[in-house]
Amino acid sequence: MTSNGLGSGESKLETVVSYILIMGVVISVLLEIIGISLFYRTYGNVQISQSKTVFINGQNFFVFILVQIQHLFGSQSSILFMTLGLIILILTPYIRAISSLVYFTWEKNRNYVLITLFVLVVLTASLALH
Amino acid sequence: MLDMVTLLLMSIAVGLIGSLTGLGGASILTPILVLFGFPVKEAVACGMVAIIATSSGSASSFVKDRITNIKIAMYLEMFTIIGAIVGATITVIIAPVFLYFLFAGFLLTSFINFRSSFKEDYTPPEKQDTLSKRLGLEGSYFDKSSNQIVKYKATNSLLGGLGMFVAGIAAGMLGIGAGAFKVIVHEKVLKIPSKVSSASSSFIIGMTALAGVSVYLFSGLLNLTLMAPMAVGTTIGAVVGGRLLCRIRDRNLRILFLVIVTLLIIQMLYKGVISL
Repeated sequence: MTSNGLGSGESKLETVVSYILIMGVVISVLLEIIGISLFYRTYGNVQISQSKTVFINGQNFFVFILVQIQHLFGSQSSILFMTLGLIILILTPYIRAISSLVYFTWEKNRNYVLITLFVLVVLTASLALH
Repeated sequence: MLDMVTLLLMSIAVGLIGSLTGLGGASILTPILVLFGFPVKEAVACGMVAIIATSSGSASSFVKDRITNIKIAMYLEMFTIIGAIVGATITVIIAPVFLYFLFAGFLLTSFINFRSSFKEDYTPPEKQDTLSKRLGLEGSYFDKSSNQIVKYKATNSLLGGLGMFVAGIAAGMLGIGAGAFKVIVHEKVLKIPSKVSSASSSFIIGMTALAGVSVYLFSGLLNLTLMAPMAVGTTIGAVVGGRLLCRIRDRNLRILFLVIVTLLIIQMLYKGVISL
């Protein structure tokens, strides 16, 4: 049953968005579980740490992603997997917003292109400017 | 101090009960973490990440069922993300003692939205304001229980946006979804049906949480060993709870949950008073 009375184009957007959300959550949860398992293998316990190494540090989210990717093949650390899980989780709604922008641009819906752009610009600025 | 496996199991239970009662998971987990001695700001920041996971998981099935109105959600997200950034920034700056009292105040609102089931009847507003009409804030969905298509339209879009900005501040400050408050704004101000309201709320909560996390990310508050079991546990709990939701409508479960909330309110107030 088509929702919103807006035709099959909107249905396609809903399907794409649904897959983005579920894939993002599943991948992220799996990475976090691998991270916790590796933590146990490395340290022999699963205590919640207050060490500085388990806190996220950096300046800009997008630079932060690149740094983690550089470490991807050189390290099997539990912290790296937990960080990657976090990155995927953060990117899930972000990519969902980008897919909406692509759809509204394709639909030539100026109002919603502007609304989605506003959301993306604010989020990008907030992620990049810290 | 807790270990990650215990926290994971606890998060599954909280996510499950939060989903079954509709009163949220992370908002209960944060005061529990404070009870176990974790710094309140750290618990708030990690709770916000867990919300992205749980809301994205539940929003996924709502979107697939074609109940979420993506246009209404996108419009309201403009307001909630700004609110969340403001709220999270306030939390990073202020003394933790304020957060204890604010959290206790928020938990009190759990008693207001004591709704046992979705309202089945829906009457669209007689008049739609110009902005809502211009943005096409309307739609329809197939209601399985009544076996018919329900057509609806939103109104009061600017006032609704303002309400969502306030909801965003609360969400960003306390690391919660503030779903109950958002649903009230949707239904009472924007006049959209309960099912669309709940579905769209899950969708908006994920984006709002992302905006809050964007502030917490590099504030030195995000502990990966705390965040990982919370995110995994509450997501599993919410997914299982979402599947059981149609089968369990137990008022006693809500009462049990509200008893827990009462104890957590007392605990947060106690922490606040001794921190003064």
